[in-house]
Amino acid sequence: MLLTLLCWFAIIFFFAATVRKFIDYAKKPMHGRQDLYPIPGEEKERAEYGGSYYEDQKWFEKPRKKNHVGEIVDMLKEMLFIKKLFVKQRKFWWISYSLHLGIYVCIAMLVVATAGVLLPFSGILAGLVALAVTLLGLASGLLICAGTAGLFVKRLTDREFRSYTTPQEFFNLGFLFAGAFSGLVAFASNKFSYGYVSKILGSMFRLKSLKGLNKPTKINVLIFCGLLIYIPVCKMSHYVGKYYTFHKVIWDNAPNVPGSKVEETVIAEADIKPSEDMKWSAPAMDK
Amino acid sequence: MIDGRLIRPRDIAVRGEQLSQVLDNKHLMPLPAPFEDPASWPEFKEVKPDWRENYYMDLDGVVALDNTPRPKTPEEEEELCNKFLKGLEKLVNDEANKGMIQVLDLTVEYCAKCNTCADACHIFVASDRNELYRPTYRIEVLRRLIKKYINKEGKLKAWFTGADVDLNWETVMRLAEDSYRCNLCRRCAQACPLGLDNGTLAREIRKLFSQELGIAPKPLCEKGSKLQMKTGSSTGITKAAFVDTVEFIDEDLNDLYPGNDYKTPIDKHGADILLIHNAGEFMAWPENPTAFTVLFDEAGLDWTLSSDLCGYDNVNYGIWYDDMFAKEVAVRQMEAAKKLGVNRIVIGECGHAHKAAAVIADRYTPSTGRVPVESFLPLLRDLVLSGTYDLDPMRNDFPVTLHDPCNYVRQMGIVQPQRDILNAILPEGRFKEMYPHGVENYCCGGGSGFAIMNSLNFSDFRDNVSSRMKLKQILDAFGPEDIYNTDLVKYICAPCSNCKGTFRDMLKHWGLTKNYNFQYAGIVELVVNAMTKFDEPYFEFLK
Repeated sequence: MLLTLLCWFAIIFFFAATVRKFIDYAKKPMHGRQDLYPIPGEEKERAEYGGSYYEDQKWFEKPRKKNHVGEIVDMLKEMLFIKKLFVKQRKFWWISYSLHLGIYVCIAMLVVATAGVLLPFSGILAGLVALAVTLLGLASGLLICAGTAGLFVKRLTDREFRSYTTPQEFFNLGFLFAGAFSGLVAFASNKFSYGYVSKILGSMFRLKSLKGLNKPTKINVLIFCGLLIYIPVCKMSHYVGKYYTFHKVIWDNAPNVPGSKVEETVIAEADIKPSEDMKWSAPAMDK
Repeated sequence: MIDGRLIRPRDIAVRGEQLSQVLDNKHLMPLPAPFEDPASWPEFKEVKPDWRENYYMDLDGVVALDNTPRPKTPEEEEELCNKFLKGLEKLVNDEANKGMIQVLDLTVEYCAKCNTCADACHIFVASDRNELYRPTYRIEVLRRLIKKYINKEGKLKAWFTGADVDLNWETVMRLAEDSYRCNLCRRCAQACPLGLDNGTLAREIRKLFSQELGIAPKPLCEKGSKLQMKTGSSTGITKAAFVDTVEFIDEDLNDLYPGNDYKTPIDKHGADILLIHNAGEFMAWPENPTAFTVLFDEAGLDWTLSSDLCGYDNVNYGIWYDDMFAKEVAVRQMEAAKKLGVNRIVIGECGHAHKAAAVIADRYTPSTGRVPVESFLPLLRDLVLSGTYDLDPMRNDFPVTLHDPCNYVRQMGIVQPQRDILNAILPEGRFKEMYPHGVENYCCGGGSGFAIMNSLNFSDFRDNVSSRMKLKQILDAFGPEDIYNTDLVKYICAPCSNCKGTFRDMLKHWGLTKNYNFQYAGIVELVVNAMTKFDEPYFEFLK
């Protein structure tokens, strides 16, 4: 039962800590504008070459045309394919994307496995779900192992990377590798099947203890829970940061025009002042 | 001294030796014709012994901070460290740094150190990958100092998180100098897969030094922001002198084109447009504001200049190093516009002034009652394309390349109007784009104040390192055939005062005007030169 509770705790902690991070960043005071073009939310023709509403005379008298579809498409390209890395640093992209794709495939595997547990599949459908879980699980494990090992070696052997990589960043890669590798060992120890994932999920949803798990599987579950707890409190939570850096910082070119939400916030935040000991000394201004 | 490519973040704290030597032809990026041979490269200034004694040169042998003497006693060294720590505390405080804390937190927290930004940086590439100029270097130092001295992580955690940069006075001085080895062009941020902004954080470091320690280069602070607040302009030109100057250049214009009666309006209440120039134009390139006068007058626009304090100079150097100066100047400029009761402010050919007035100042105050700000480029594009002027492109029958100022191209998205104008006023085939261009352009190398920083040997850094990539782009754009044809004018169109300043110094430093007939100016001059109304060419070099 302890293992079941740990699994639930890890999942709840992961989502709670992630939401907390989102809230923490959302509560920060509105930043000054940091527009950086191209901004995909601009009108389609302009977004293609990096133009903006500032290309219009009297832009402030014209309604703003936002291209929400363009913004979502660009966001998906970045989220799903790490487009900038692909364009700017292709060799590095192969190993980084291997890791990220492995994580996405792992999520897909968990979704399929959860659907298999919660929905009344039977016959061929149930067989297909089991096959999908195994194939996705295997692909995920191999991709994550290859990606983390590749990144580890790259950071260790390439001087330009090694100088900037901290012990924690090596640890993060090692931790992810351990999660994926222990999954592959568990897979092998369960007659080359990831059926145990569905079994674990089933026990979790029924709040029953995880019985009949062999040692490699238990180790895999423990490491996986550890990752769920660790990821949102460390730098690997950059899935939160990336939302803000793009949407709320470099793509946020909303002008402060009368009656706008930006103006409302400017007025509302005018009273945010530092305490006496946190006021800048401003010696340059005083000199 | 350490090989620039081998410097690590913690080496910034090394005591008693110069970390690296950047002004060394063995390590600088090769250049195309006519500078393939390093023997043809200009000499560097000789470092005088008293520079080493009085200033801090132990980062890379260059001095940007010409107002900052080396500490002389252990007490002064300690004071420097303590003030820096206090400033660092304020930099990461939500209230003290409310306009930037989100951006700063995100970049400090999430950099994956994938190094994608490095190859986007023209200074890093031009310096043969000197680590001191890697966009992440100074931010990694800052990150490690925050972990060690602000978060006060215990020994084990500090080791685990890599908080290994020691704080001593040399760390402080080197970090201050290193923040002035970045043009703040933000090309690195554009390349970042996580959307992080090491360029903006370099400015945050400058801000800490200015706002807490009073450390900033003289040309930006004493001779820049402070002079502007005192006299009305960073050029030192007062209201009376400004009015005289405008009268004088109007007279020159009417002498050049007799039979016309051009007059630049000043302080015309209720005009539609308040045009604000970079006041440096009046002193260094008066043909630029004069061209505006011709174009606006010929178009029958209802416009004016202001003679109010700060109203006749659009510069705002604070956006490069100090929030307080930036806000103060922006507010005064806005006051000048409100006083005249104009409908809109139009910013002339100055890149950082565009960004300062339209973007940075946008969230300083509520917008109700403010005068909206726009660029001169869409207005000029509309005038040119609507047939307001009778233009003959053959009058500009020489190759022209266009420099995209980072501040209003990459950082404001004004990309196409200038191209529409050039295509309308140049003969076919004469417009030579640089590669890359538009929002992916390279900085001229004079961005963030470098263009006006000439103390000690800083101009050597600018002319040989930071503007090197732009020089290469320009040489590539024209190609050897045009370059070696010395009868042919090669025109660099730089619609920005600071960029023009960089090109002026670049062309002189490399002998490109003298030996190869390279010329530079803005875009309005090219439009006037194409006007069939005038018999004489507008450019001196065409006469």
